[in-house]
Amino acid sequence: MAEPNFTKIIVKKGIIGLIFGVLLVVGAKLTHFPFVYQVMFFLYALLGALVFILLDAPTVKRLEGGKAVVALIFFYVIMSGAYIGGASILPQYDPEIEKGKIDKVLKRRRALTQQGKAEELIARAKALNERVEAMDKKLNSLGVGVKVAAQAPSKSAFSGGAASGDLVALGKEQWELQECYNCHKLFGQGGKKRGPELDNIGSLMTPEQLKEKIFYPKKWKAEGFDKAYKKGKMPDKFRDLMFPEEIDALVAFLSTLKDTSVKTPKPIKMK
Amino acid sequence: MNGKLGSEAMRTINRTLVLFMGMMVVGAGLVYAQVPDPPPVQFPYIGNRTGVWIVAQLHILFAAFILGAPIFAVVSEWLGYKNNDQKYDRLAKEVIKVTVILYSMTALTGGLFIFVLLGTYPHFTSWLMGHFFLIFAVIYPLLFIGETIVLYTYFYSWDSLKGSKKARHIALGVLLNIIGTITLFVIDAPTSFMNTPVKGEDISIIEFIQTAGLWDKVANYSWMPLNLHRLVGNVTFGGFIAGLIAAYMYMRSKTDEERSYYDWMGFVGNLIGVGALLLLPFMGYLLAYELCDYDASICPYMMADQLSMFFEMQGAMVGLIFLASNYYIWLSLKRIEGVEKVRISGLVMIAVIGMPAIMGATWKMFPPPDWQSLIVLGLLVVLPPVLSKLPGLRNFTVSSFTMIKVGFLMIVVADAIWMTPHGFVATQGLATEETELPSWAGELALMPAKNAAAFTLVFLTVVNYIMYNWAIRRGTIIWGKIDFSSQFVLIFLAFSAIWTMGLMGGVRSLTRKYYHVYNLMPDFTAESFTPTLQYSAWWITGITIVFYAVVSFAILVTLHAAEEKKLDTSGIPIPAEVK
Repeated sequence: MAEPNFTKIIVKKGIIGLIFGVLLVVGAKLTHFPFVYQVMFFLYALLGALVFILLDAPTVKRLEGGKAVVALIFFYVIMSGAYIGGASILPQYDPEIEKGKIDKVLKRRRALTQQGKAEELIARAKALNERVEAMDKKLNSLGVGVKVAAQAPSKSAFSGGAASGDLVALGKEQWELQECYNCHKLFGQGGKKRGPELDNIGSLMTPEQLKEKIFYPKKWKAEGFDKAYKKGKMPDKFRDLMFPEEIDALVAFLSTLKDTSVKTPKPIKMK
Repeated sequence: MNGKLGSEAMRTINRTLVLFMGMMVVGAGLVYAQVPDPPPVQFPYIGNRTGVWIVAQLHILFAAFILGAPIFAVVSEWLGYKNNDQKYDRLAKEVIKVTVILYSMTALTGGLFIFVLLGTYPHFTSWLMGHFFLIFAVIYPLLFIGETIVLYTYFYSWDSLKGSKKARHIALGVLLNIIGTITLFVIDAPTSFMNTPVKGEDISIIEFIQTAGLWDKVANYSWMPLNLHRLVGNVTFGGFIAGLIAAYMYMRSKTDEERSYYDWMGFVGNLIGVGALLLLPFMGYLLAYELCDYDASICPYMMADQLSMFFEMQGAMVGLIFLASNYYIWLSLKRIEGVEKVRISGLVMIAVIGMPAIMGATWKMFPPPDWQSLIVLGLLVVLPPVLSKLPGLRNFTVSSFTMIKVGFLMIVVADAIWMTPHGFVATQGLATEETELPSWAGELALMPAKNAAAFTLVFLTVVNYIMYNWAIRRGTIIWGKIDFSSQFVLIFLAFSAIWTMGLMGGVRSLTRKYYHVYNLMPDFTAESFTPTLQYSAWWITGITIVFYAVVSFAILVTLHAAEEKKLDTSGIPIPAEVK
């Protein structure tokens, strides 16, 4: 039996794919899918058509020697191009947004690292100084004292940035930097139901209680979030990652959230 | 006078001493400030992070091959021994030949990786080595030496340990794999530690790390999931690379006998590659689950924010790999004489069609690790074949071609579900109504739907292989006569599997965010941000091509040379009495 004409197969299945794609787009539009999803569904219909065209494709004849090598290289170029192209047409995250955030989060830690080195130098100098003083005392006891002016190690080169300025504004900045919005909805944004909505948390918890929740998440549970509590969804890392001033600022910001029109779940004290 | 002189002398000594000590104080500071830090190393054009990325990824690819290929080889050798089929033995030996060549590349890239790390991130590297000193300085080198000795013994004793001694040779292969697996598990410890460093309850992670023992650091949250994921991934990798070897050799085969052998080898490579691939989504899920369990903020970073489009790309890659592996089955099935007689219960087809919706709803009601969902899953898998034995349903069958075509349709549907994001944005913070799913369809973007899609892909592939197996038993397969395009499918599978490994390896590393060791040791360099998917795709492609070029070279040189040796007997002296 002769193989059916491949061109006819392409045309036939291509048309079916297009019709199916259009139907999907219409269906998606009627059910309020945004345009980008309509395009996606249309492309899936075309992918389906392509797959069914390939299923009926005629047998490929054997390639040998140079032809096979050229076909292989061409195939690799196509694959590489398709993968790079595919990855490039998807939405790209702008690293500049993150760079600014990272810089703010790590600024104080970086300063501390440099300070750490300075402190080590100071400690060594101090040890030597003590030896000088001990020797001085010894010499004085022999009646030949010379006072050595002990130089106190300079105070930390670090001066807290977060402690200055408007505490609430700095707390709001911490909200952004620590990405609390990933789990908590606030001002109608973020959340995705992972954690409770916090617009009224300032009316329900004192600053001390808020601080305790951030330090030890297991000590408080939000009403209706039993599963998330049980799984320990609220990370307990902030006491390690944030400076006390940063936590204070965040607490100050959270304490101002007193929008009673939003139903923030009731916090329950746990043992 | 003597007393005065003595007093003067003491004063002078005293002043000198004070001056000396003062100089020492200043000098110590200066010396400390000047000596320890060498000039910073900076990779030209690409930066340090990308430099390390390239070397590390290449090393992991070679390492994955030398760990995965011996598993593949020893199974093949055992099958040959058990069934008394020389084809399996030849396959195993050819794969090991390539492994021996690539073993040196693994060691080379491994050494390079350490040098590059030490040069670019000296403080972090020495810190990590300090925490895992016993592993880096003693256990890992000993295992590597042991593995080298066993690998070479295994390879060079192939011809001497045959016949009645074959079992001993297989035992050697098993030993090789045991050492290889332990090596993998050992080196996964620092890798997984970087993602999920051990932490304690109500104690600072920094304090806890100072007192934690080596085992605490090794047995961290993501260690075992990473071990399992990489182990299964390596077998998949080994299978697809065996398929690649077969494709190359099939293309350059001159005789029907050779074509027949390499056609068969491609089939076996694909079978083992796909067989392990079926487990891979679940191993990946387990790893992601543990990462999220360790720190819930990793989850949105991966799935909803900076890395969400990396997962979109992963969905596309996995879909393509499943499409290609099933297309290979299709091409292979087409050349079986008598395939049209193979039929399957229509209930299986209905189960396949209903699977995404049924399992999506089930996993929404009973999300993992709840066990209740397994009952529904079990019924969905077991009921169709059981019910098809009932008198009224026995004749409700469809042809294998119909089943496979429906299967392809469902692969496209499952991939569409897998790839439907909550929002078509690089991060959810930028989502608007124009880019987000309508609220009624929000379930499509959640894990139950994704799991259902993954299971549909796996189930379909299993059904296709079962039918393929029936077709081989009931019909006649003609090896060597497969459609030539199937060789491109094998090459595509290997290339795509490597590319996906690169992508997901990148994702695993990036989940550390701006830390060398998550939440513990920040990366203060200017390169600690999340790169774009486009930028990553360029490098992943570049690394894949370099790896592919080296492997292709190794395959052609090793197996071509062996072929030449086999054919060229002109130089071999022939005893006089034979003439």
